[in-house]
Amino acid sequence: MTTASRALPRSLHRTGGADWRGLLFHGLLLVSLVFSLLILFTLITDVLMRGLPVFQERGADFLTRPTSSSPARSGVAQGIFGTLMMAIFVSVVAFPLGIMTAIYLEEYAPDNRLTRLINVNIRNLAGVPSVVYGLLGLSIFVLALGPLTGGKSMIAGGLTLSALVLPIVIITSAEAIRAVPHSLREAGYGVGASRWEVTRLLVLPNAAPGILTGTVLSLSRALGETAPLLLAGAVLGGFSTGSRGLREQLFSDYTVLPVTIFDWSRRAQAEFRDLTAAAIIVLLVITLFANAVAIILRNRYERSW
Amino acid sequence: MTTTRTRRLGALAIAAVFAAGACGTGANQSPTASAIPSQGTQSQATESQAAESQPGESQAAESQAGESQAAESQAGDLSGEIAISGSSTVQPISQGMAELFNQANPDVAIRVDGPGTGDGFQLFCAGETDISDASRAIDEEEAAACEAAGIEYVELQVAIDGLSVITSTANEAVTCLSYADLYALIGPEAEGVDNWNDAEALAHELGSTTDLPDAELQIFGPGEESGTYDYFVADGPIAEFAEAQGQEEVSRKDYNSSPNDNVIVEGVAGFDTSLGWVGYAFAQENAATVKLLEVSAPDGECVAPTPEAIASNEYPLSRPLFIYVDKAKAESNPALAAYVDFYLDEANLTQVNDEVSYINLESSALGETRSAWEGR
Repeated sequence: MTTASRALPRSLHRTGGADWRGLLFHGLLLVSLVFSLLILFTLITDVLMRGLPVFQERGADFLTRPTSSSPARSGVAQGIFGTLMMAIFVSVVAFPLGIMTAIYLEEYAPDNRLTRLINVNIRNLAGVPSVVYGLLGLSIFVLALGPLTGGKSMIAGGLTLSALVLPIVIITSAEAIRAVPHSLREAGYGVGASRWEVTRLLVLPNAAPGILTGTVLSLSRALGETAPLLLAGAVLGGFSTGSRGLREQLFSDYTVLPVTIFDWSRRAQAEFRDLTAAAIIVLLVITLFANAVAIILRNRYERSW
Repeated sequence: MTTTRTRRLGALAIAAVFAAGACGTGANQSPTASAIPSQGTQSQATESQAAESQPGESQAAESQAGESQAAESQAGDLSGEIAISGSSTVQPISQGMAELFNQANPDVAIRVDGPGTGDGFQLFCAGETDISDASRAIDEEEAAACEAAGIEYVELQVAIDGLSVITSTANEAVTCLSYADLYALIGPEAEGVDNWNDAEALAHELGSTTDLPDAELQIFGPGEESGTYDYFVADGPIAEFAEAQGQEEVSRKDYNSSPNDNVIVEGVAGFDTSLGWVGYAFAQENAATVKLLEVSAPDGECVAPTPEAIASNEYPLSRPLFIYVDKAKAESNPALAAYVDFYLDEANLTQVNDEVSYINLESSALGETRSAWEGR
């Protein structure tokens, strides 16, 4: 730090009066910012222009109808239901597993070659393309565990997505736990607290905002996934549930919003383009909602050191 | 040190107990699990439903299928599951039909998937689906796979499509292409041709008289996994000349391929002297931005892809759209039989085809399909 701050004025001196390099760099930064904003702006206006008229025209009807072969009768109800169920699955399966793994790795596991190897592997797993998790879901949750999950079922999809976000949950939670100052733990041990008490009363409450933000953000990533769920049996088309109750639906056909969007984008009727945009808006709203929850939770639990 | 060690040992012991518990339940469940393979559960379910429902019900559904009003009085009688997969081109028909069928029989759960004709046959011949949608006839390899698995099927034509050769509306130089032109522009020997005019020599050699313009050529088409691609190379212009030219039945490799027909249409519309081919519904829906070219078979006239010309097979690139139904499953699952009966009803099929802008079969052709189904 000190060498850097000492070196800074010297380099400034070298450039002389007109700092044209600095100006150029400044300009470059602005151009990149404008460029990324422009892309975002174009995407969002395009989607809104196409999609909003659908909501004006159809209203709640669009949100409550299943997908259909006819654009006039198509809706996103099944997609919303499937996406929300995926969110519940990930929250119930991946979050506890991931957070507990992170606590073990950070607080309990000895720092030896094995745990370091495990850490590196988890990091690599987080970078594995999502399609690979789709293949995993297909071979394990759909085929091998088919008798338990019902094959191409909502449960198989939920487990696949949980496997997909698990490494991300572990990494973000571990980072958050690591960010809790060591002095705090030492103070805890100093007054005779056990490891369990230190973890429960000192580490976790202070790591909570980081853990919550990381996990909720990983959730919104999971909700946008298409490829793994296509392999894990999400219906690319339409389905009816017949006389199935809610419990039976868990073990049978499902679809999610990104798959609905994918299906509609390849339909012949021109009206489906607008429906695709409208479905994208619904997905954006759900993702924004998840992100908002993350921000609220972080602000609520945040402390400064 | 000793305390942490004992603690760690204790934790390990607890973990071991959990693991043993998990293994124990796994072992308890595995016999039942292995006894019921994944399709087993389904077929058992359908069998028990078959036992419950009264015989003759499917005939009753058939006779009333025309009037959904009358069929609605039957609501709730049929239940069960139908799994359909296959061509994304045929998917809208099967899906529309499923919706119509569900209005009368809400208790039947129908799944209509559209991964593609080839993928569909793979599932079908593995016994995972009841009906396979197909935008081309089953090929020898797939038929062999079905036979090896002991799956007998009946092939039913449900609609007709015209592969539409399209270019940009700005391309005024071309209005009609012969099979020879299409072979010279898109066939295996066209590799590297990036100007329409460069293909003219070969086209004329093969008997074409079309003047191909001196303009840049950009080709957009479906990928090799698509039934739309297969039909074009195996039943269309490329198959026509490939053997005599000593070439394989494939297209040139250097074209822009996409599994999404809308992307093909957008590509063709976005380039003035483009060339591409898609299903009729996609070309028709985008007639404002792409131009549908006339096509002439060898020794034939130029024919525009109109619904009438496609339905009468006068248009050379007319192709049948099929559903393949598993005979044994139709026997054991009354809901499936009733669904196919419903599917082949002229009023229903016309309603659905019109809604998804597909072309109806002529009555005589549908009659043949129906007798194929009844004679299964």
